[in-house]
Amino acid sequence: MHIAVMIKQVPDSTEVKINLETGTLIRAGVPSILNPYDHFALEAALELKKKHDFKVTVISMGPPQAKSVVQLALALGADEGVLLSDMAFAGSDTWATSYALAKGIKKIGKVDIIFSGMQAIDGDTAQTGPGVAQQLGIPQITFCEHVDVDGRRVLARKQIDGGHELQEARPPVLLTMIMGKDYAPKHPSFLAVSGSLKKPFHVWSAADIGAEPQYLGLKGSPTQVNKIYPPPQREKAAMFSGSGQESVEKILEIMKREHFTE
Amino acid sequence: MASMDTISRNLMLDSLKEYAKRRIPYDLLRELDEKNEFPAEILKEMYQHDVLGLHLLMVPAEYGGVSGGTFDIYRVCELLARIDLGIATGVFATFLGTDPLNVGGTEEQKEKWLRRIASENLLVAYGATEADAGSDLVNLRTRAEHVVKNGKIVGYNVTGNKQWISNGGVADLYTILALAPGGPSWFLVERNMEGFSPNKHEDKHGIRLSNTAGLSLDNVYVPAENLIGMEEGKGLLQAQAVFGYTRVMVAAFGLGAGEEALEQAIRYSQQRIQGGGPLSDKQGYTHKLLVPNYVRMEGARSYIEYTSQRLDSGEHGLQTEGAIAKYGASEWGNKAADDAIQALGGYGYTKDFPVEKIKRDIKICCIYEGTSEVLEMTIYRGRWQEHLKSRGRYYLDMADRLDQVHAEEPKAGAHAAALALRALGAVLEECRVQKLTRHQHVTFKLGKLICAAETAAIFSTAAAAKKYSETVRFDREGWQAMARVFAREAALNTALEGLALVQGAAETPGNLADAVNIEAVQAEQKGMIADMDLVAAKLKQTFKAK
Repeated sequence: MHIAVMIKQVPDSTEVKINLETGTLIRAGVPSILNPYDHFALEAALELKKKHDFKVTVISMGPPQAKSVVQLALALGADEGVLLSDMAFAGSDTWATSYALAKGIKKIGKVDIIFSGMQAIDGDTAQTGPGVAQQLGIPQITFCEHVDVDGRRVLARKQIDGGHELQEARPPVLLTMIMGKDYAPKHPSFLAVSGSLKKPFHVWSAADIGAEPQYLGLKGSPTQVNKIYPPPQREKAAMFSGSGQESVEKILEIMKREHFTE
Repeated sequence: MASMDTISRNLMLDSLKEYAKRRIPYDLLRELDEKNEFPAEILKEMYQHDVLGLHLLMVPAEYGGVSGGTFDIYRVCELLARIDLGIATGVFATFLGTDPLNVGGTEEQKEKWLRRIASENLLVAYGATEADAGSDLVNLRTRAEHVVKNGKIVGYNVTGNKQWISNGGVADLYTILALAPGGPSWFLVERNMEGFSPNKHEDKHGIRLSNTAGLSLDNVYVPAENLIGMEEGKGLLQAQAVFGYTRVMVAAFGLGAGEEALEQAIRYSQQRIQGGGPLSDKQGYTHKLLVPNYVRMEGARSYIEYTSQRLDSGEHGLQTEGAIAKYGASEWGNKAADDAIQALGGYGYTKDFPVEKIKRDIKICCIYEGTSEVLEMTIYRGRWQEHLKSRGRYYLDMADRLDQVHAEEPKAGAHAAALALRALGAVLEECRVQKLTRHQHVTFKLGKLICAAETAAIFSTAAAAKKYSETVRFDREGWQAMARVFAREAALNTALEGLALVQGAAETPGNLADAVNIEAVQAEQKGMIADMDLVAAKLKQTFKAK
């Protein structure tokens, strides 16, 4: 079988800083990493490769520097890497990104299983994986904790509220992966990094994958971001200790002072 | 060897960083430091090919390594020093021990030994130093006598004692410098050879995670094929050939450990409230303990990168440059770590905070691979020759180039750097005219002034460049302010100290005050406080409290 893993480069910070004047993210000084959900999805795919001798191709979309996450995936064991990089992709929302990734995957050739992280830690939309399944017209299983393959059966353990569900699919299928809280991403050895330079790596433009310009970038995106702003910080709560009677009296005093009561 | 691409290098650095985060927490370092214990398991694990394979950086790809260049090795050394300078020294000793082979080994020797070091993860030690032969290797006492069979030299009997050998007690393979009949030569000695025994592990002030021991060689029989290069008498040349490069590694140690200590102090200063506000907002604190130190470390970084890139582009030797890089980074790093303790006050003086250990550890950088004083002499000797050869134009020409830089980018401190270089040129010339270099003190002090003025020139040039190195963590405004602060300090020190030096040694007073352009140097100090304010703000922004 042939597995494709969709990966994304994200800023290494869950604490996103926003420039209040321009409404854009401040990325300067924040190092970039492989989105941890994608890292987990990649490791799940590589485990299947090890067990069943599958081929694994990774695909990412981003500026030229996003090559580093593709090379990281190659160093971790993926066989081939693809980076969709073109100014035409800039500003794409999840719909346009799904469209481009689906086109890229079609160009890769016959793919049986597509993995992606449940979401990226920068945008948190969790839309791109399902969007690609929709674009390709194939089934999807989202929020998977674990995946195995038995012959032509893809077996996924999916997380649901209060437990999990076992689902089965026939390829081609798209799976989005969630990860446990204590997940520690694997990192490659020096030799593996050095070896990754010898693996096939392709940079494809919009024209290379036959993507129509009107479906790409800002103008191809149905979602237009109006404004980004940090939610207002909550004011600090006042805490009282002592007996119930004393605390209630203190609270009443404040309510009176703030004109909540007469 | 040329360095690798930025992405590969950064992936390797990330892997090392993640490994250290997972496996080498501060509590463990503190415990090992207290017990004076070498973490053999950690070193072995870091050498495992599927974990990191750290030692492969030194081995060319054709022998199973990854062919790291000087820039790659500088970056890894810097990061290792940020983790622990003792562990860094253990790794460095393998690098250093491998060097005579890399430089002087025959093709067969490289094929055999480099491949073994790579594939068997051998810990290597470099055995040059003896009780009476440190930087001065001509006093070498360890002997290698011919063993002749049927009229043919089949091997050597090596006898002598080595001292202060990093990895001395734990290495698998040793490169030993000994005096053969044909002159000093390097020999490959394996741990299990008869007559070879390491002495006790030293109880040191710092880098206590690094094993340091003496070696006893009592008539150790070494086969002739273990003579590096298969030719006697090449040992000192082989040792010197790599000084430029090995000193860049120690420079990277000073840089990494020094910056790490400062970054911890910068983070601390934002949380510690004194007199109604955080320490990070108080000039009396930041402009004394943090800003000048960080600026000097970034100056050292730019000089290390300048030297690394020249070595990577195929230049050989660069002994003076290696000496400048190491002298600056280790002296300034040592001072930075000292001030980091001061910046943390009582906390900094306890072992609960890593700056205390960093301060003890970093001192070694001023001692090994050439003490600071030996380097002052080396720097002076190298540049004095240039000054004489160029008839006094060496620094004046360099200053002219800095004027060019200033014309294109006036914000990078290039004007102040040019003032420093011209003052230096004038001081050197006055020393020549008045024959002042007969005083050893003068020569060593000149070494110090040369280091600061040249670093200012390189820092300003780097800060004026359109594109910055991948290692710069500040925006253009911040890094240029740092270069200005550095260059002003260098100009002032060169002029004032140079003047004092000449006046202290000369019999007839010259008009050096005019020659060093003291008025211009003083006028150049305008804007210093505003720049230091800016640097303090950038440091706070870059190294936020956790």
